[in-house]
Amino acid sequence: MAAVTPHRRWFLSDHPAPWLLPLVAILVVFAIYPLIYNVWLSFHEYASFRRRVEYVGWANWIQLFNDPRMWSSLTVTFIYFFAALALQLVLGMALALLLDADEPGFGLLRGLLTLTLVIPPAVTGMMFLLMEDPQFGVLSWLLNAVGLLTPATPILATPSLALAGVLLADVWQWTPFMVLIFLAGLRGLPPEPYEAAMLDGASWWTVFTRITLPMMAKVIAVAVLIRGIDLFRVFDYIFVMTSGGPGEATYTLSLYAWQQTFSFIKWGYGATLSLLMLVIVLVMANLFIWLAKVRW
Amino acid sequence: MRDHDRKLFLASLTDRYVKRQIDRRSFLRSAGQLGLGLGAFGLGVTRPFGGHFTPVAHAQDLRPDPDVLAWVREVSKPFAGTTLKLATESTPPSNALNSQLKQYFEEASGIKVEIEVLPLEQVLQKLTLDIASQLGTYDLYYIDQSWAASVSRDVFDPREQYAAKPDLAMPNWNIDDFLPALVDGICVYEDRWVGVPYDIPIFIMMYRRDIYEQLGMSAPTTFEEYLRQAQRISAETDLYGATGQMKSGHYSLECDWTAWLWGHGGSIFNADRKFSGNDELGLEAMAYWDQLYKTMPPGVTTWTWDGQGQSIAQGVAATMMSWGEFFPYFDDPSATKVSGLMEAVRCPAPVRSLRTVEETGFGEIPGVGHQGGSSLAVSMNSKAPDAAWIFMQWVTCQDTQVLITTLGGGTGPTRNSVYDDPRVIANNRVGPGTTRHLNVVRETIAKDMGSEPDLPEWAELSNDTIPVRLGKYFAGDYGSAKEAMDDIAKAVDGIVRS
Repeated sequence: MAAVTPHRRWFLSDHPAPWLLPLVAILVVFAIYPLIYNVWLSFHEYASFRRRVEYVGWANWIQLFNDPRMWSSLTVTFIYFFAALALQLVLGMALALLLDADEPGFGLLRGLLTLTLVIPPAVTGMMFLLMEDPQFGVLSWLLNAVGLLTPATPILATPSLALAGVLLADVWQWTPFMVLIFLAGLRGLPPEPYEAAMLDGASWWTVFTRITLPMMAKVIAVAVLIRGIDLFRVFDYIFVMTSGGPGEATYTLSLYAWQQTFSFIKWGYGATLSLLMLVIVLVMANLFIWLAKVRW
Repeated sequence: MRDHDRKLFLASLTDRYVKRQIDRRSFLRSAGQLGLGLGAFGLGVTRPFGGHFTPVAHAQDLRPDPDVLAWVREVSKPFAGTTLKLATESTPPSNALNSQLKQYFEEASGIKVEIEVLPLEQVLQKLTLDIASQLGTYDLYYIDQSWAASVSRDVFDPREQYAAKPDLAMPNWNIDDFLPALVDGICVYEDRWVGVPYDIPIFIMMYRRDIYEQLGMSAPTTFEEYLRQAQRISAETDLYGATGQMKSGHYSLECDWTAWLWGHGGSIFNADRKFSGNDELGLEAMAYWDQLYKTMPPGVTTWTWDGQGQSIAQGVAATMMSWGEFFPYFDDPSATKVSGLMEAVRCPAPVRSLRTVEETGFGEIPGVGHQGGSSLAVSMNSKAPDAAWIFMQWVTCQDTQVLITTLGGGTGPTRNSVYDDPRVIANNRVGPGTTRHLNVVRETIAKDMGSEPDLPEWAELSNDTIPVRLGKYFAGDYGSAKEAMDDIAKAVDGIVRS
């Protein structure tokens, strides 16, 4: 009988460490180390003429709060975040309620909904860029035809419309994601409360607000959390469709951080901006988890 | 639709010939330039009406000079098996090099060449990351002229390379053949050459000949005339008189601005190295631009150069003062509605005399022909600088540049001798990859070329600070041009000073 070495015994034991090691390693390499490096970088800056990263103390953090571009991009990010989330939430729930049926054809419709999710966001951005083009775009043509827009008002070049133009692409692509999550929740709800409400003669609205919404609260909370974190980092649509313009009308924090890091090689300031985003997302997510009483 | 346009033009041409408004020679020349077979009119010329346009200059006959390849074969022996990497913008020369030409070099040298063809912004990112990390991932750098100052200390000066390695020097490479204006405008920073000129997109005036003939106008010679013509075209035809590349926050917007600024005698910086776009001449340029903007399609503030080119190609706008690289594309009947209808001339003359280099700052060279050229250089971090130097000489030698110009679709050459090469001249006809605009390009380089200032902060200023605020101006975020330009001045001077 072959001798069992202590090393081998440790691996064969019930100790959780061997099973956790791969996950820990992945976390360390892809999450913890980059985070620590980012924090370190936020106290440094790349000096292009000396070709090295130099310690700058709190300079990047001080600059952060004195930078009007940061404040303007933070404002745009919040507007985008709340508008997109609200639209996707309402539309997603409405569509989910409509599609929550077993009649023939509904399964196919539910399947078709997933199609938008497989398109890369940059491609969707290009698609809407063309559709909203004042010369060649079908959407602009349609809005012109119904009198909501004139040819002299290009959607993506008009400050008051540009963000809405970008939001449209986001809503088109990601509302189905909300629909799918809500549908999964709806189809898992117990039938008894509905039967009881029907016997009591409750209206559709009462059933929805008093039964469906409360029972769906956790599902909605999870959907809001996932989608909200994603929305706060919006980059692709903005980059492709407006590059942050006109002026700074669609300039988001992630675009600003990207530009500072990769276009202007201000790695330290870019890292500081990304850390600011991380802090905001962490605070907002935890606040939401606490308020919505989400239990994992 | 493109046939429809051509037929319309031909019909109008024939009509004027029949009415004796034009002579037979003009008629034949115009019809010939349209690429139309006059046999269709019983005039006995060979090409059938609506016949095929000649493809890019008999591509199958275009091969590198055997003597050049023999030199490559001989000098590359010690480097066989080496792999070279280059990240370059997706431009006609780079695409021709990557898809059609590098194979000849690889076969002769045994050196593998990997070319990443990317959008300009990504090239800058890769280049700066490579410089910062000093990893030598890329052996050769494609350097936009606006980055020359930033990377000048990270690449070899080709003159020094040529002198220091006589055993690797290509016979008759002739560094003096590069157009001196391009060397000054693209490559020279302080006393160093940041590579050699590689490509030269430059502003020329392009206009619809049929529309101009219809309105009885000739190509504009002054800014004022150009504006009046653009207004008239907008008023009297279905087309917009002018077009632009005015996307907010994009480098293209800054390019458009400089053309109007320089053309009015202004400059980006003054001799004190302070922003001067907000002075009297700068504001006059803005007033002119405002007027011209009204003759452009509504989407112009959402477009970069791509949208601008498309607005001409799809028959939406009639004129543009922009990159000459577009011209060969306009002549491609399979891609545009304006094949054979476009003409190229030098940009209109400036409103007043241009500022001299001494009157500007950071080596800025005012000129209505804004150039966006790039250079090619060997990175000092390269692990195979000698192999990269051989490749660079091959790419930029006269023979390869001729092939790049013809196979690359009529892109502007950076060497004097290429313009006179019979293979290039052979493409001087209507059709894809035409070179019939190259004389204008050559003249513009010599007489009208404008170059941006050289300073390390220029990448940020030209890609963000200036175009974001100009975008805000056209979006109506400022009360006046003066307010916008003062804001730009404050931001630019703040960045340059810091």
